[in-house]
Amino acid sequence: MIMSLLWLRVAVFLYGIAALAVLPAALYDRPRWRHVAIPATIAAVLFHFVSLAEMLNAAHHRLPVDTHETQTLLGLLLALAFLLVYWRYKTVALGVFTLPICFLLGLVPAFHPGQESTAFPIIHSGWIFLHVALLLAAYAALLLSLLASLLYFIQERRLKQKSPGLLWLPLLETPLEVLDQIAQKALLFGFPCMTAGLLIGSLIAQATVGASYFRDPKIVLAFAMWLVYIAMIHIRRIAGLRGRRAVYLASFVFFLVLAVWAANLLSAVHRFNAP
Amino acid sequence: MNPSKLTQGRLVLLGINHNTAPIEVRERLAIPSTRLADATRTLLHQPGIREGLILSTCNRVELLTLQDDTGEAANIQPQTTADLLRFLHEYFAVPPSDIQPHLYEFREREAVRHLFRVASSLDSMVVGEPQILGQVKESYTIAREVGAVSTHLESLLQRTFTVAKKIRSETQIGSSSVSIASVAVDLARKIFGSLERKTVLLVGAGKMSELAARHLIEHGASSILVANRTQSRAEKVAADFASPSVHTEAIPFDDLYEQAPRADIVITSTGAPQKIFVRLHGQQFLHSRRNRPMFFIDIAVPRDVDPRVNEVEGCFVYDIDDLQQVAAANLADRSREAAAAETIVSREVEKYHERLQSRDAVPAIRALQQQAEELRQAELARSQSKLADLTPQQREAVESLTRALTAKLLHPQLTALRESTRPKDND
Repeated sequence: MIMSLLWLRVAVFLYGIAALAVLPAALYDRPRWRHVAIPATIAAVLFHFVSLAEMLNAAHHRLPVDTHETQTLLGLLLALAFLLVYWRYKTVALGVFTLPICFLLGLVPAFHPGQESTAFPIIHSGWIFLHVALLLAAYAALLLSLLASLLYFIQERRLKQKSPGLLWLPLLETPLEVLDQIAQKALLFGFPCMTAGLLIGSLIAQATVGASYFRDPKIVLAFAMWLVYIAMIHIRRIAGLRGRRAVYLASFVFFLVLAVWAANLLSAVHRFNAP
Repeated sequence: MNPSKLTQGRLVLLGINHNTAPIEVRERLAIPSTRLADATRTLLHQPGIREGLILSTCNRVELLTLQDDTGEAANIQPQTTADLLRFLHEYFAVPPSDIQPHLYEFREREAVRHLFRVASSLDSMVVGEPQILGQVKESYTIAREVGAVSTHLESLLQRTFTVAKKIRSETQIGSSSVSIASVAVDLARKIFGSLERKTVLLVGAGKMSELAARHLIEHGASSILVANRTQSRAEKVAADFASPSVHTEAIPFDDLYEQAPRADIVITSTGAPQKIFVRLHGQQFLHSRRNRPMFFIDIAVPRDVDPRVNEVEGCFVYDIDDLQQVAAANLADRSREAAAAETIVSREVEKYHERLQSRDAVPAIRALQQQAEELRQAELARSQSKLADLTPQQREAVESLTRALTAKLLHPQLTALRESTRPKDND
């Protein structure tokens, strides 16, 4: 347990470095800082992964159950998403937001480790892990999409304001179309993750507690989230939503997801006992 | 027997540029690239010239030469300049008195610094322009082909290219565009990323709009639509752009509003007194493009595109003033970046010099060591008979004893030699 904490602290430290280094790399287009930000992120992801694996192994379960564990897994997925975007589009602009989030997500678990709450009965542990991981991946994709839309919005303002010397925001040189593609593809990636995650979750619940699971308000909220997610993808595709309106829509969905997430925080895992 | 003399020569750079000479002088000295090989060969045949390279662009003519080092540096200096001047005079039939007032001359370290600055575009009229490095490379290729560049200049030029690239990647000196056409391309790329498979619509014709369109094609735009009130003119312009990789099409002016949504980038330059595109058009275009962004470059005065089109989400309108403002701001950025680049140049000049001098010391050091080793072997051979009945261990001890002795005796000399070459200043 001590070792996994140590690795996590190293990872958080590296996220911190990457989050700082990405600022000059993205905002002032200093390519040299990429050579700091990207390796630091890769190293952080590796340490993070090792830490997570050790943590789960030490606790004798293979799924992140307590809030800290899910939180760090989300951070890991976000960092991976950032690297994926960098690899595909060669832009580090998203790191301006994603890396600090990774840093913050890891901060509390690393320096204020929570209690070991493993009293949870593990039945279909493999499936539950998949359920949690898929949903987290969907959240990460959604967050990424929101960030890309936000960057799109900022970049669009800058281009419309024209006089580049007088702008309050320094360079964020990721082309609009690329940002739009990232936002779009992240959503498309998140959708099957969320669908499968929810499906697996409800199948497990069906098998363990029977049909009553559907009365849990959190579950209802989760399905509402899924519907809104579909609606958002649809609207984006059909109307070619970009810029300001895309940001509004994405933030709306994101806050809904945040509500579901918060509901998860309040009740440790799920309480299926009928109200 | 100083072996370092064999590798060292004296580096002299003589030239004129846009700061020192008016165009009338520069044009008389300019060498077309077809004659560059011949000129370089002639330069190499001048007395005392060991290696040489000629850089000739519209803004500068420079002769970079490595000359024999006779050791009488003080006496020879005016002579070499005179030789080079004579070469210029003979080759171009320009009297020395016409050239001399405009001439600058750099030696050794300063010549290296100047070369680094030129190749990094710090000495250019438009600081940061990218062509100069290519021109230096071309001169280098030609000089190498005619055998005018070998060991010394070869390593200097390789270093120059590395420094120039380093400055490009570590500063933003060349990252911002300073001409209207390239600013337009930059902006288009900020919107669309890659310009591949993008469509450009030219409304009206004009030199500047066609230049901008050409720039866009160079960066990947794959189709050009041309609209003009005179259909034949539109067809002619379209034909000018025709090439296997570019789809061109002249569209009738009456169909302009139906066809415009096809275009990602619209360049307008008509002489029309009233606006051609107004806000409502922008909204309609965006609607039929399903909100895919559209970039209007309005080069016309009076303007063809209502500035309020810019208010439509997804429409970006830049008129000639906007473009010029971006260009001016970029130019200011460049001079800021130039300061950072100068620091890199200074550092690199130092590094180059140190490397050069430590390399020059190597042959001398080797020669000394070899001499000592030969002496040692000879002495051992002379005592061969007396050492004959030693055991292998004892023989080994004698070996290492003599080796250690020579090494210790040589040590102060070698150190002195290394020291003497390091901080030596030739200027």
